[in-house]
Amino acid sequence: MSEPLVTYLPFKAGLPPMGTYLRSLLKRRAFISEFARSELRNQNYGSVFGQLWLVLNPLLLSAVYFLLIYVIGGSSDSTRFAHLTASLFLFYLVANSLTGGVKAITSGQRLILNTSFPRIMLPLSAVVIAFLKFLPTLVVAFVIHAVVGLSYSWQMLWAIPILTIALLLATGLAILFSCINVYFRDISSILPYLTRSLLYLSPILYEASSVSDSIKQFQIVNPIFYLLDSWSRVMVHAQAPELFSLVHAFSFAFMIFVIGTYFFLSRERDFAVRL
Amino acid sequence: MISLSDFKHEHPKASIAVSIKELGLTYKTSIEKKPTLKARIKTLGRGKKHTRIVRAVDGISLDIHYGSVLGVIGSNGAGKSTLMRVISGIIPPTEGRVDVYGSVSTLLALGVGFNPSMTGRENVYLGGLAAGMTEAEIDENFEAIADFSELGESIDAPMRTYSSGMYARLAFSVAAIVEPDILIIDEALSTGDAKFKEKSLNRVKELRSADRALILVSHALATIEDVCNEVIWLNKGKLMARGNPAEVIAEYQKFMNVRKSASSDEDV
Repeated sequence: MSEPLVTYLPFKAGLPPMGTYLRSLLKRRAFISEFARSELRNQNYGSVFGQLWLVLNPLLLSAVYFLLIYVIGGSSDSTRFAHLTASLFLFYLVANSLTGGVKAITSGQRLILNTSFPRIMLPLSAVVIAFLKFLPTLVVAFVIHAVVGLSYSWQMLWAIPILTIALLLATGLAILFSCINVYFRDISSILPYLTRSLLYLSPILYEASSVSDSIKQFQIVNPIFYLLDSWSRVMVHAQAPELFSLVHAFSFAFMIFVIGTYFFLSRERDFAVRL
Repeated sequence: MISLSDFKHEHPKASIAVSIKELGLTYKTSIEKKPTLKARIKTLGRGKKHTRIVRAVDGISLDIHYGSVLGVIGSNGAGKSTLMRVISGIIPPTEGRVDVYGSVSTLLALGVGFNPSMTGRENVYLGGLAAGMTEAEIDENFEAIADFSELGESIDAPMRTYSSGMYARLAFSVAAIVEPDILIIDEALSTGDAKFKEKSLNRVKELRSADRALILVSHALATIEDVCNEVIWLNKGKLMARGNPAEVIAEYQKFMNVRKSASSDEDV
């Protein structure tokens, strides 16, 4: 008798064999891109502009803030407008990953109950969807940068590592919250308020430099405060980010990613019975 | 996690495909009559838990051999689908072990159409990719799946617009066109109109081969008797009987007090 190809034993909380898991994940990477593409197509299914909404959304969003700052606010502070839009776009990358990720497992119920695959593919797809939505906004941000006449420098290349950190954070959050939602469904109802609070607590509607010191000391626990500050420095002011900000942003992103992934991988075999 | 395309070897006839030993699976379900916050707060701290433990699969030991066509029968809630999910590695067992010697159809039919807002085509691709097939493999099989399902242009319509018959036809087509070593067809057989039923039955007969193990879960007893060479009968998670199709089905019918009436025969 030959060796069994695979053996299923009772569930124990713990990491699956990582080599096999990663190979099986890598093998199914086409699922992630296909899923993201289908999902994006469907979100605008039946609308007149279709996929064009991916560009129209950030344009309209900036138009609203243009109205707020230039027309109602009567200001002509073009830096502020560029700061607000660029920061908001990065914020939405993280927030969309989170809102897409939180329901990734619970809404994939049919697939999970009938197919055996690495469950982490579902929150990962949510991040890819958020990233595909982010790309057109990046173009819009550059257009705004040019139109309001801000300066350029090589320091702007720092945007690449900062974006990588943002993606690590987004992935970690999506994985963590998709898993929490399996055990504690109320989280998906609380989440909109959490992201809204995070929006106001972070340097988006204002610049990090304008925050008073007494408040700034609490921002050390805000995982995206220094991330967004660095992003604005690089993208709007064309300056190098502070080392502290980068270290802070990376530490948080890495920590959330590791905790989320560990939590997810050690529980995922249990998901099918919890749905 | 194995995938469909990982292994395609020859299997000597009558070698073991799946070996199940002392398998047990328990669920915890909440049985609160009114699952409200008030009720939950009332019972809080009293140690009274409104959960019931369900033994979906209870101490089953079973060997499934290559070349056999195994029918699985039993009333609703007998644990048939749960057992299939354990064999395909979707749900881990609570006790016991399952050894699988070959590639299992990791895409159970019901997984097709998991996202009703996507088209039939997208669902087939996503289901296949999730089950570990490559895009090329799905491309290769897609035409056959679409043809078999007879959906025509509807394959590119969102699945929420499908009738239940169309849904079932697509599900069966996916399960029956992809050819794993161990093929599980769960309840998808007795759906669709008379013509499609006959067609799917013929397809199942075609799929019988010495180096494949087929597992059919169905309430269509006449079909099971016609196609299978071995039948197991599950009741409340326990293995009640195993053996010759005609005998096990007769025993099951006697137990269920179902006479060989028109309604159970018709269900082919």
